[in-house]
Amino acid sequence: MKTVKHVPTYCYNCVAGPDFMTVKVVDGVATEVEPNFAAAEVHPAHGKPCVKAYGLIQKTYNPHRILSPMKRTNPKKGRDEDPGFVAISWDEALDTLAAKLKTTRAKGVIDESGVPRLAASFGHGGTPAMYMGTFPAFLSAWGPIDYSFGSGQGVKCVHSEHLYGEFWHRAFTVAADTPSARYVISLGANVESSGGPCAVTRHADARVRGYKRVQVEPHLSVTGACSAEWVPIRPKTDPAFMFALMHVLLIEHQLDELDVPFLRDRTSSPYLVGPDGLYLRDAAARKPLVWDTAQGKAVPFDSVGVVPALVGMFPVSGAISVDADDVVQEMGSVEGVTAFTRLVEHIGKYSPEWAAGICDVPAATIRRIANEYLASACIGETTVIDGVTLPFRPVAVSLGKSVNNGWGAYECCWARTMLAVLVGALENPGGTLGTTVRLNRPHDNRHKSIMPGEDGFMAQKFNATDKAHWAVKPTGRNMHKTLVPIVGNTAWSQALGPTQLAWMFQREQPAGSDMPQPTLPDVWIIYRTNPAISFWETQTLVKTIATFPFTVAFAYTIDETNYMADMLLPEATDLESVQMIRVGGTKYMEQFWDCKGVALRQPAVAAQGDTRDFTWITTELAKRTGLLAEYNDAINRGAAGVSPLKGANYDFSLDPKVEHEPEEIWDAVCRAATTSLSEGKETHDLEWFKEHGFYTVPMSRLEWYLTPTMEKLGLRYELPYQERLLRVGRELGNRLHENKMAWWDQQLSEYSALPEWHDVPGRWDAALVNAGARVEDFPLWLLASKSMQYHAGGNVGIELMREISLNVRGHGGVIINAKTAARYGIADGDRIEVRSHIGATYGAAVLAQGIRPDTLVILGQFDHWAQPFAKDLDLPSLNTIAPMSLELTDATGSGADIVKVQVRKIAPTRIEGVPA
Amino acid sequence: MKNRAKRISDLALPRQQRNWDGRAAANFIAGGAGGALLLMAAVAGLGTEATRTAILLGLVLIGCGLTCVWFEIGRPWRALNVYRHFATSWMTREAVVAVAVFAAGGLAFLTVWPPLVFLTGLAGLAFLYSQARILAANKGIPAWRHPRSVPLMVATGLAEGAGFLACVASLSSPLAGVWVLAGLMALIAGRAFFWKSYLAGLTADGAPIAVLKVLSGMDSKLMLFGHVLPALAVMAALAEMPGRNGWVLSAGFMVVASGWFLKHALVLRAGFTQGLALLHVPVRGGGTAGPAAKPGWKIMPDAKAGY
Amino acid sequence: MTRYVMSIDLRRCVGCQTCTAACKGANATPPGVQWRRVLDIETGEFPDVRRTFLPGACMHCGNPPCEEVCPTGATTQRADGLVNINYHLCIGCANCVMACPYDARTIVHKSHFSYGNQPLPSEAMGFDPERVAVSMKCTFCKDRIDEARITGRTPGIHPEVTPACVNSCISGAMEFGDIDDPGSNVSRLLGETQHYRMHEELGTEPGVYYIWDKS
Repeated sequence: MKTVKHVPTYCYNCVAGPDFMTVKVVDGVATEVEPNFAAAEVHPAHGKPCVKAYGLIQKTYNPHRILSPMKRTNPKKGRDEDPGFVAISWDEALDTLAAKLKTTRAKGVIDESGVPRLAASFGHGGTPAMYMGTFPAFLSAWGPIDYSFGSGQGVKCVHSEHLYGEFWHRAFTVAADTPSARYVISLGANVESSGGPCAVTRHADARVRGYKRVQVEPHLSVTGACSAEWVPIRPKTDPAFMFALMHVLLIEHQLDELDVPFLRDRTSSPYLVGPDGLYLRDAAARKPLVWDTAQGKAVPFDSVGVVPALVGMFPVSGAISVDADDVVQEMGSVEGVTAFTRLVEHIGKYSPEWAAGICDVPAATIRRIANEYLASACIGETTVIDGVTLPFRPVAVSLGKSVNNGWGAYECCWARTMLAVLVGALENPGGTLGTTVRLNRPHDNRHKSIMPGEDGFMAQKFNATDKAHWAVKPTGRNMHKTLVPIVGNTAWSQALGPTQLAWMFQREQPAGSDMPQPTLPDVWIIYRTNPAISFWETQTLVKTIATFPFTVAFAYTIDETNYMADMLLPEATDLESVQMIRVGGTKYMEQFWDCKGVALRQPAVAAQGDTRDFTWITTELAKRTGLLAEYNDAINRGAAGVSPLKGANYDFSLDPKVEHEPEEIWDAVCRAATTSLSEGKETHDLEWFKEHGFYTVPMSRLEWYLTPTMEKLGLRYELPYQERLLRVGRELGNRLHENKMAWWDQQLSEYSALPEWHDVPGRWDAALVNAGARVEDFPLWLLASKSMQYHAGGNVGIELMREISLNVRGHGGVIINAKTAARYGIADGDRIEVRSHIGATYGAAVLAQGIRPDTLVILGQFDHWAQPFAKDLDLPSLNTIAPMSLELTDATGSGADIVKVQVRKIAPTRIEGVPA
Repeated sequence: MKNRAKRISDLALPRQQRNWDGRAAANFIAGGAGGALLLMAAVAGLGTEATRTAILLGLVLIGCGLTCVWFEIGRPWRALNVYRHFATSWMTREAVVAVAVFAAGGLAFLTVWPPLVFLTGLAGLAFLYSQARILAANKGIPAWRHPRSVPLMVATGLAEGAGFLACVASLSSPLAGVWVLAGLMALIAGRAFFWKSYLAGLTADGAPIAVLKVLSGMDSKLMLFGHVLPALAVMAALAEMPGRNGWVLSAGFMVVASGWFLKHALVLRAGFTQGLALLHVPVRGGGTAGPAAKPGWKIMPDAKAGY
Repeated sequence: MTRYVMSIDLRRCVGCQTCTAACKGANATPPGVQWRRVLDIETGEFPDVRRTFLPGACMHCGNPPCEEVCPTGATTQRADGLVNINYHLCIGCANCVMACPYDARTIVHKSHFSYGNQPLPSEAMGFDPERVAVSMKCTFCKDRIDEARITGRTPGIHPEVTPACVNSCISGAMEFGDIDDPGSNVSRLLGETQHYRMHEELGTEPGVYYIWDKS
């Protein structure tokens, strides 16, 4: 008789999670992944994980796994150097690493260039933290660490959305309020692929309910397929499209068709702007002025009983403006124009007819979409949520990768947020919502991340740009604090800086730079990250990785980055180890729950080989590095995630002086989490969680919407006019120029009060010319896109994913428009070369109608040459041929996954069973 | 030229079946001709030796076909399970008939007793018919399941049988009689009729484009080498032109070869699967339904729903 | 009478292949064999293009052509509508494979595994040598349906007795149940939507209903 058990656990292999699942275990062998139906009531996707989770069985038993610690025996590093890894004991591995860390620490945690000696890189969107047990507590115990060697952050994420989203509405990522939305304009957002089960469930329900989603993107993605309409826009022209939508709303409709109360009371629309482009301020209080229609004069925006004018030009005397570096200008008698009127004037030139030529979308289509959007906005209607009456604005705009990062992304993020603002749909039911915060704190509650700040807006924690505080000397190798004020300086900021700069500056610094010579980290720790294939210009980047003096990789199989490592440490992975994480609340991509709580990951099966639980590894490392007390203290503070072990009404603290077994640590976390969540009513231990898997408490849906909180605090969204960004940009420019840094000047142009259209696609042509190439030689755009099967790419070595991914159109090749292909003599399946000015990538042509004739698309990023199984897939990748380029880096430090290419047939192919 | 990896989406389009390869085709090719040859041997009124030769050849052909199939099936040692579903399976019926063929045929070969020879002939015909029905029962293969494939398979089998008989007759003495030649002529004409009728039916009722391409592409060759030239050769023989046996032999050979070419093409080149159909492209939210689609198919406006 | 059928709402399906993966796990099918899969079909011409995701598997036909042609009686139709294969009887003649207009059946002549000739522990656990060289296909997870008879639970309602693909579907596209029961979830859903069955003109009476619009 076989023993069968079903082990509840979670999957967090991509940012769209975590999602629940159970693992069926037969006689000690994991055989199946299944949904956890016990969680059906609490989980928005009814306890179901997405397709990736089903690969975890093969992940566990993959014969290519590294099953014991290994050390490098070949001191030479490089793609052509066999690392000569040999198995060693855990004792030897940990002692060697601890010795290295102690030596490093003895030299000082900061090196001679002022950057941390220890660097760490973790992959996909913070998800590795949900698999590395208490390792965050060790990192916290260590002190300064450089997280700036990114593996795709800034270029593979929705970077500008992260930064501007948090700035404007505490929205690290942005989503539609899908359950009640009636009209969604989605510019390249691919939620049906990358939104996880929660997004898929919500949108499927919305489709059946009859909501309309218009998908605007150069190729017909899975999300486009599931949309009511597909608008094949020219790549990188999305700002023009959105400006034209705004034009229709602002110019072709009356003001009273918009949400006037929202604009007047919740935004800076009534603030008066002076002739110098800065707010006119009260000379004494320095507060921005508005025109009070009751009194007929300009008064500070927060004057009691003020009824501000939204539209118009008004005479103002005795006001001041405050420019960069606190330069105060006395304005005398001037005309003050409301920010809203400035907006209307600004947007006047961006008509649908103007945009049509740029976007290759008929003006009538743009106009119709704008009108449908406005008609669906239900302005004036309300809805009741948990007894509270809120505006009901069921329209949203969502942006996808390469729309909301790289040049043009600032314009897109601004226009998207403005489209919500104009109809009052920002952070109101049915509208455009933020999911969570990462740059601001606390991470689990964006409402609490709001504090009143200057000028009636929420407080922002920009990196200083004033002369006294600006970080002239970088504190991390990507210079995030120096170059990107808006990214701030909290735990996530560094990894969201211009991560390509960390790599680029290792090879070459910009001419005229006055910066300290970049150093390599003494020790580089990597986990669930593979920049050697997942960043850009990978052929070059891998050479840089090979120069790192000591790299230690928590490793699952050999891959292209850990091929350069000095030591491989195999951790017990997804189905073999224990960890507790937060679930619920609101979180990207579309995790909007009606409860919040915690879930346990627990061993469904014994760890394979001599792999060890990450918490065990970490505790051993802390002990051997002499950081045990600091490490335990960090766990007690909650650094391992979830909750502090000591709260107002409980204390499950660990003794900092002694070493604790992983189960002991997680038992304390389980107790603290449940006691904290239930406010002392319930306490559950690890054994309880092993049986039940998760614990939640109800949460009001009001938590989804920020506007009521803004209203409660009397705050305004910092829109439409970006006076602060304008000032900060000027100030940053002053600092850079004082330090003879002119190489960031292009980026400084992004700091504008009202974003202007500039020839965004033209930047790629200019980059070609500057690289000595001819524009006409590279007539096509190559884009990258994601699929659900390979969302984070970490499962590329799993056979099951390969098999089923081939069911999805485009996987395994290069998607090309059938007519374009015919022009090049390319048939379906032919092997083709896609070449940019820096190199070529090869794959099978996948002929399609659902793609623009000037565009190619590659799904995933498969340029593997070391990882077993993956290296035999022989698949193309944009990463091989997209350059790392300063001129293609925007002011936030991000770039876009897009490159101009040429294409040609290499070899014909026959499809079995189909005549030629 | 290398093969691209097969994708599941390829299933949407009709594609050449690969489950029955040359071995299964050999059964239709040889077995059908063999069964018909037994029938011809029974009705042609040949001499003893010629009859015996024809019966032996017929049995050998059927035996070879069945042996090929035995090598094709996944579990050959369970082959006797084939007898378990006489109620509806034409494969079971073929296997049952095969026993009768070999029992009657063996005795007929030994005795050349006319009733036995006649019985063998009937069994041969039944075998041929079973095969035609096996093919037609494959609803997943449009070119096979068309109702006109049955008369075509029977007609070509009979023509091939007659062709073989003509060959046998031409090589034995006395010379093939007028009746044999007239019969052959009639069967050539019959096959031509049923081939054209089949092709027209398939075109009118709708079929995968690739099927029509394959079959239309071979039409002229089949008509010339399988019908016009053999018919001329038969006429030459009837007209007692010099080298009469040579005319008969060449006519028989051409009829057999063209029939085998036809069956080979039907099984291995026109055996396209049904593919999938989207009767309605779904409504996605506030959009509209898309037009119906049947990828890879040519549908005539007045095509009937199914065949 | 009981007649188990499946409804698939094409409005919901996103082609994610979660059902494909769940089926492969639940039924331990070898690499390349997908009893259930989702086809990604493009129709129309640029720029008027549609892309439809069409889940497919054995349709458990009311008039199954596979059953008719099977010479061994290995393929049978159960009283509850499930079309079943007895692997011990099947000779792997492939007649049924081609009788099926839905490409639902497969024969694998030689066992092979995800990473070569050696099975992973999980594959060894699910490996059934009887399935080599015989015809196989989606069973509607018949063991679960059989369990329902014992436990009194309802397929399509209780996950333990519902096909793995239906359980796994994250878009909620699939329902399973007894169409002869007017109160079943499937009957109710089909009553309020427009749907079709594929290749119905062939007289197969398929047991899978594709929903494409509200009624």
